Amino acid sequence: MHRVLGLCLVVLLALPFATTAQERGVTAEEVVVGSSMPLSGPAAYWGAVGRAMEAYARYLNDQGGVHGRRLRVVLRDDGYLPPRAAANVRELVERVGVFAIVGLIGTANAFAVRDYIVRNEVVWITPTADASMWYGFRDKKYLFVTYPSYVEEAKILVDYAAKQLGVRTVAVFYQNDLYGQKGLLGAKQGAVRSRVRIVAQVPYEVTQADVSSEAVKLRESRAEAVLLYATPRHGALIVREMAKVGYTPKLLSSFTLGDPIMFALAGEAWNGVISTAFFPLPGMGDSKVDEALAVLTRVDPALRTNPYNALAGWAFMEPFVEGLRRAGRDLTKERFVQAMETIRNWDGQVIRGVTFGPDRRQGIHRVYLTRAEGGRYTKLTDWISYPTGF
Amino acid sequence: MVELRTSYAQDLRLVSGWTGWAGLVFLLAGLVLLPLVAPRYVVYVATLAAVHSLVAVGLNLLVGYTGQISLGHAGFFAVGAYTHGLVLTRLGWGFWPALLAAAVTSAAAGFLVGLPALRLSGPYLAIATLAFGLATHQVLVNWEALSGGRSGLFLPEVRLAGASLKDERVLYWLVVAVTCLLVLAAVRLLRSYVGRAFVAVRDSDVAAELSGVNLTRYKTLAFALSALYTGVAGALMGHVVGFLEPQLFTLFESVYFFSMVVVGGLASVSGSILGAVLLTLLPQLLSGMGEALNVLYGAAVILVLRFEPGGLAARWLRVQRYWRSWPL
Amino acid sequence: MSLLLQYVANGLAAGSLYALVALGVVLLYRSSRVLNFAHGDLATLGVFVAFTALARGWPYPVALGAGLVGTALVSAAFYRLLIKPVRQATALSLVITTLGFALLLSGLMVWIWGTDTKVFPFPLSEVRVYRLGGVVVSELSAGSLAVGLLLVAALSLVVQKTRLGLAMRAVAQNPVAAQLLGVPAGRVLAATWAVAGGLGAAAGMLLAPAVLLDPFMMLDPFLKGFAAAVLGGMDSLPGAVLGGVVLGVAESVFAGYVSVKYKATLAFVVIVAVLLAKPEGLLGRPFHRRV
Repeated sequence: MHRVLGLCLVVLLALPFATTAQERGVTAEEVVVGSSMPLSGPAAYWGAVGRAMEAYARYLNDQGGVHGRRLRVVLRDDGYLPPRAAANVRELVERVGVFAIVGLIGTANAFAVRDYIVRNEVVWITPTADASMWYGFRDKKYLFVTYPSYVEEAKILVDYAAKQLGVRTVAVFYQNDLYGQKGLLGAKQGAVRSRVRIVAQVPYEVTQADVSSEAVKLRESRAEAVLLYATPRHGALIVREMAKVGYTPKLLSSFTLGDPIMFALAGEAWNGVISTAFFPLPGMGDSKVDEALAVLTRVDPALRTNPYNALAGWAFMEPFVEGLRRAGRDLTKERFVQAMETIRNWDGQVIRGVTFGPDRRQGIHRVYLTRAEGGRYTKLTDWISYPTGF
Repeated sequence: MVELRTSYAQDLRLVSGWTGWAGLVFLLAGLVLLPLVAPRYVVYVATLAAVHSLVAVGLNLLVGYTGQISLGHAGFFAVGAYTHGLVLTRLGWGFWPALLAAAVTSAAAGFLVGLPALRLSGPYLAIATLAFGLATHQVLVNWEALSGGRSGLFLPEVRLAGASLKDERVLYWLVVAVTCLLVLAAVRLLRSYVGRAFVAVRDSDVAAELSGVNLTRYKTLAFALSALYTGVAGALMGHVVGFLEPQLFTLFESVYFFSMVVVGGLASVSGSILGAVLLTLLPQLLSGMGEALNVLYGAAVILVLRFEPGGLAARWLRVQRYWRSWPL
Repeated sequence: MSLLLQYVANGLAAGSLYALVALGVVLLYRSSRVLNFAHGDLATLGVFVAFTALARGWPYPVALGAGLVGTALVSAAFYRLLIKPVRQATALSLVITTLGFALLLSGLMVWIWGTDTKVFPFPLSEVRVYRLGGVVVSELSAGSLAVGLLLVAALSLVVQKTRLGLAMRAVAQNPVAAQLLGVPAGRVLAATWAVAGGLGAAAGMLLAPAVLLDPFMMLDPFLKGFAAAVLGGMDSLPGAVLGGVVLGVAESVFAGYVSVKYKATLAFVVIVAVLLAKPEGLLGRPFHRRV
């Protein structure tokens, strides 16, 4: 038996050991960034963000890279599971040796790796988790986030419904996890501020296939508006079910449902939905975003089926690349941080209005509202700002 | 050369001969020294593998040795993890009392699940344990006051003799120490009359009962012990990840544990460990493969069962026997 | 009152699908004493095959038929290659084999078709509704109920009135004795697996237009179908149907009047309660072990 166990040890030790460079992840020829994403399993739809990051890097490299360095993106699959995300991040930092971790999908996963990343002073760009998890968190020196706050956007949506649509009662349909619960929290706070009543809070589980009871429950609440914090699939399902049972409230949704796939999934029931967005969407007349999408689908045709998440991937990488540019050829972590802190109201090709500073790590603090009509999203309002928290 | 045993005491001995002792010393030295020579991510993966080994050994006690089925072991994993977490945070107890609480609660849960198991067998038992696992997950998700729901339950930083468990190395040593002790206890237990009773229950519970093995006592004991091991592993897992979330305790986890035991070898403690280590490393080593990993997993389980039902341990045994009797 | 009827109507529609899944599960359990955990994934595979066929422009009957036949073939092949040859198969190893197969299938489906949600075109519309009093029933739900009844009727006809059905019942009762009497047990069992697979695929095809197609869509309905099979009795085909309907309605009414949050838990509570009180289910016969 000991021989067997000894075998285990040998197997473990066979894992190749770390390589160290001058500055971790930086050599004369390349800058290495890593990310942990769900590339398999039920959440693999979001993995397109990582593939878009790779495609964007390839595009940049074709143009000569940044200060003569190529950008290399290393992706690891965590199946949306926190222990694997934690193991992946450790491997990326210690074995692969990355300069930064860019993106990381899932609030639970972000929590699982947060302490390690902070302790090891790893540059971390935009984990896709609700921004409020960083409020009051110390040790944010190497953290730069350009991701909206679910809580704040919910408040904005409720406010719009109250002021512009004359709504007095709101129901919330939300996914029963941190994402949905943050949305619900924002809705409640917004309801107080805008003087509307939340008349129903209807959760659902990600594994659920049938939402007919939930639709009936929403109908029974007689709310004038329903706020959706869901995945594209469940967003489409509930909207269809509600239409089926003859309930047609005003519909508001989080930016995650600003994905054009909703038109295919939900059909006509999706027209009239008001969503938020944190970057200009393709087909709105913004040529830079349209061009970015064209580049991505050219480099990686598989991204054609997932344009929304692809653009999100570009949006996450952009500020990082800008930081690399501003830091100059002599790249170290400190110079990178200083460079990022000089970014003021900067517009990238996809992301807009990014601001960082010595005390500011929340890169964007505004969203705008869109309206779904005729199979496209049209711009409904201008940028609406919310207070920054970190 | 076949080992001949000339006394009962010799049969009971865990380690025999100078090769046995040398191997043991090498193994222990390797385990202790690993964090000092390997990078921290290897240590992290090794800690994860140790936790999984503990679960696999516990599950094997029930499935391989006592012949029961459990598709809901993630439930016991969760009971142990959340008990430990809640006792640490809500009651403010220290680490060891909290771990003990986790062990006791899991064992009690195992006992309770084992009671209906007395009346059920085969597929019905599989379904009942499946339902237990799924129901536990549901409770964790929905009873936010207890579990922190989807926001998670954060474990505080624990200091043992001045060393913090947030340090991967300290955590590794702790987890490996606990695992080794429990595995040793399991091996000794299996070589005693309790182990023989388990195997008797597995091979033919009617005959066992006729021979004087109290089915009620041993079946529930098997469940309780198995749950205890899994619960302790769950408590340790909490420290490995740093927080607890219901997502860590789904049906997928139960199936994952099951695969470890089957691939490693039913009724073989070292097999369970081997299976656990392998199935912990595989996702890490093959991270770039994306979906192909699940395909590989499924194929591995099927192939192992089809061509080597005894798992890797049985294959290893065959290899050993071949070399021992070579050149015959 | 119409609200209650609405919940019941929703429950009947869901229940008919649970019943179809349960039928497949029970069919296999009765004949091979195997709990097929890959049933859900096999069903999904059939739907994806039909989806691809439809995308290529094949007409509905052919495409759906292709899905059904495809699942039936894979199911029978699985039996032939992985279940039958294992001589000393214990219940445990069979269960694990099916679990491994389930994992393999779901991985394969994601690999080939991707994880993005797809719309499954279907001749019956999910959006067109009929209103009876205050109750809303979609064309698809009505269709599911009708098709479900049809399939149940067809199955019971086959099992009770045909020679194949007789052979299936004989093999289920005692495979060795059946073989001694000249029944080709292997072929009959392969046919049983094929039929079970087809039933699952049918359930999947009725479900996909409503819940949108992705590789994991059958996970929840499959577990509910399991619960329904346990409730009705693992060795009783009528029991599976009854269990499915009862579970569907109970779930819907529970979600409507008691708690939406715990709707999913109901199925598992049902399983546990049934197993504790009456393991053989509502219509099953008590399980006697021969020593």
